[in-house]
Amino acid sequence: MSSSPPPSSAAASPSCPKKMIALRSSDGETFEIEEAAALQSKTLENMIDEDCAGTPIPLPNVTGKILAKVVEFCSKHAEPGVDDESLRAWDAEFVNVEQATVFDYILAANFLEIPTLLNLTCNVVADMIRGKTPDEIRKFFNIKSIFSPEEEEEVRRENHWAFE
Amino acid sequence: MLLFFLFTCLSFILFLKSLPLNSLPLWASEMTLLSLWSHREFSAFCISSLMNSFYRSFIPRTCSKMSIKKINLSSRVDNVEIGEKSVLDLPELVLECILEKLPPAELFNMAGVCSSLRNRCVSDHLWERHMRQKWGRVIGPAAYRQWKWYIATRRDIGNLKQGKQSGLARLLIAVWPLSWTNSKLDNSEKQRIPLPTDSIMSWYLALETGKFCFPAQVYNRENGHVGFMLSCYDAELSYDSQTDTFQARYPPHGRRAGAIESNVTWDRLRAQPVDAPPHDLHISDCLNDLQPGDHIEIQWRRNEEFPYGWWYGAVGHLESCDGNANYCRCHNSDTVMLEFRQYAPGSRWRHTAINRRNHREEGNEADGFYGGIRKLKTEREISMWKSLWPTEVLE
Repeated sequence: MSSSPPPSSAAASPSCPKKMIALRSSDGETFEIEEAAALQSKTLENMIDEDCAGTPIPLPNVTGKILAKVVEFCSKHAEPGVDDESLRAWDAEFVNVEQATVFDYILAANFLEIPTLLNLTCNVVADMIRGKTPDEIRKFFNIKSIFSPEEEEEVRRENHWAFE
Repeated sequence: MLLFFLFTCLSFILFLKSLPLNSLPLWASEMTLLSLWSHREFSAFCISSLMNSFYRSFIPRTCSKMSIKKINLSSRVDNVEIGEKSVLDLPELVLECILEKLPPAELFNMAGVCSSLRNRCVSDHLWERHMRQKWGRVIGPAAYRQWKWYIATRRDIGNLKQGKQSGLARLLIAVWPLSWTNSKLDNSEKQRIPLPTDSIMSWYLALETGKFCFPAQVYNRENGHVGFMLSCYDAELSYDSQTDTFQARYPPHGRRAGAIESNVTWDRLRAQPVDAPPHDLHISDCLNDLQPGDHIEIQWRRNEEFPYGWWYGAVGHLESCDGNANYCRCHNSDTVMLEFRQYAPGSRWRHTAINRRNHREEGNEADGFYGGIRKLKTEREISMWKSLWPTEVLE
């Protein structure tokens, strides 16, 4: 059958074998993910609908290391009976990683169109920015600032109007 | 064209007369605008329609709702060593998503980080949301016009000083002696205050820092002065971010000097419900609809020298009616009885009757003048008035 059952019904009947989707990362590693978990990703959902899920789906933009974590995330969020508070705590632990890894998660979530993961990781980056001055932001994200003279003047002017 | 010239001249005279600035707090010298634009009914709760009609159309996007397009990694000019990922490497929509999550102070800081972030962080659509969330309830068309005027006059003064004289400035110099205009300007220019840009971010910052005063209305003015209970009056407001309150400056009434009230909280403010100056009589359009039980606001002033305030009341039954809903015919009568139940039953302020066929303004020097009427339609407005009900009955 090509139309996928809703996740809740798949979870409600544990006696039915869960349909597994195979994914292949950019570096050739293969991962298996339950269909219910895969449906968290709109990209994968479209592919499943179009019945492309026979052979492993190649994901050239995601490395094995990141794909493993993304599979873990989706599986956790597809689990039934997890209360909001413990899920939030689990999410907080999930994104408690290096800056570079957070960006990798963001890129993967964007490519695979996983709204929950994207929202979570964007919040993490927003939190990184909170409370920092422009200088600190530059240092933290390793950005070299190149302003034109006109822009420098604008920034100076705006700082007069800035928050105290 | 001639009309525009006269209008700008008149307004510029008023502005110049309000200088020098050193003798008054800077904000106190802001001129009160003469609203010469055409007036429109404006509800304080329709701030989004105001934004849309004046700014570029804004399509709200949230991370969870938007359909995320896959975008290839784009190269950035002002970036890091090759191989290291940076926030600037993120796809456009993702970066937007992050910026949308930032509170105003952080968004402002991001605008000072680098060129490519700056372009995004100063854009109107990001700041529109912050304006709407924080200021939407108290900012109306009058405040927006005052802001536009504020920028325009500052730009012209700046150009005058730098010798970049606009057509307006050249016209003025031809009409008034240059020495007079220069002496008036020197005091302000000593401080070399940079000009604000015409952007929503600028407007937000000007409001936040209290550098821009805007017109709005204050409920129960002057700390609940008994003479003003359950009324709402126009004032110029400036924000104090330290205390999260406002200072209100009320215009003088006749011989009564203008009053200043500090620590006005957000819940006592609203944008003008009718987009008109406080001296203008509102032409009531609800007279035929009024029936017992309706909640209304009516303009009232002591005499012609005073501005109107809006006073809360309700439509009551005529004296001949016993209030029985089955037999009440008050809505068919030409006379409408307005009740102000905050006053004691014997008080002269408790009732007033108006004729629904031809009511515009009625009254006398003793009892004051009752002007235009607004029927209150939203529960929000009604409960606002109820929350301000005086603890004691007034005489």
